[in-house]
Amino acid sequence: MNASISIDETDRNIVEQLRRNGRATNQQIAETLGLTATTVSARIRRMEEANQLRVVAVSDFAAHGYNFLMEVAIEVDGRPASDVAHELCRFPEVFAAHVVTGRYDIDILVALRDFDDLSHLLLDKFSQISGIRSMTPSIVVDIIKYQFDVAPIEI
Amino acid sequence: MAKAQLDELDRQLVDLLARDARVSNRRIAAELGVTEGTVRGRIKRLQQDGLISFTAITSFSMAKNSRLAFVSVQAEVENVRAIARQIADISPINAVMITMGQFNILAMCLFDDLDTLVTVASDQILALPGVHHVETSIAVRTMKYDTRLAKITPSDVTE
Repeated sequence: MNASISIDETDRNIVEQLRRNGRATNQQIAETLGLTATTVSARIRRMEEANQLRVVAVSDFAAHGYNFLMEVAIEVDGRPASDVAHELCRFPEVFAAHVVTGRYDIDILVALRDFDDLSHLLLDKFSQISGIRSMTPSIVVDIIKYQFDVAPIEI
Repeated sequence: MAKAQLDELDRQLVDLLARDARVSNRRIAAELGVTEGTVRGRIKRLQQDGLISFTAITSFSMAKNSRLAFVSVQAEVENVRAIARQIADISPINAVMITMGQFNILAMCLFDDLDTLVTVASDQILALPGVHHVETSIAVRTMKYDTRLAKITPSDVTE
């Protein structure tokens, strides 16, 4: 799964170019870095096949009509936290779910279209999952920074 | 947040590109049954409107900083925006949101060793004027993480 391939300077330079513009052609990248288009293409394919790299379109929350983000910290009782987290992942509104250390057991990020969806999600959907002792939501009122170009590709 | 929404063709286009952004316009056109010109025009508009952006995502194992922590901050309400911006400038911090709830700032930090996390949370953030309290929580298991969704800020929009 996670075939550890060695990543050299050339690979890193190619990734850097792709971070700036994921749609740059192999030829454009090759010219910038003084390589051949064949090398660029082969390097990208190798990293992709080893699950080390994905070149993707990222879309804004607003593009999907998600106007409303929320973090929910969850305490679990009497059930493995991973099992509860697994059930939470089934909801499309949950776009990130982590089992965490500290005061709470699970941290999820939720995207909603409007405020009415909130009560439905918390009271009708999440409340049906057994093992949730408490949910502490925080409403996101502004996003100052959101830069995730590193992610667990393997999952 | 007054951004335009996607229509059906935009959505199909975004779905295709979210899987692999390097697929050619010609292939997209063939798959969606539209012309290459339409594909090119749509992509350009979506980029200009800040609705999509193309980037490389690398796996945690390839990155220097491969662990994720949530840093929840209680900061002075009247200066919360300024404090959030200062936190955003700390380099291992990848996301900063202003929230309403028990804490008023939620930051996410990518780190490699605990010392880095302690330096960021307990030294740098806690030392900022107006910050009253910091709690960290380390993600030990990622169950879901949708990289296709993000907040596209003006610096991400390529010309």
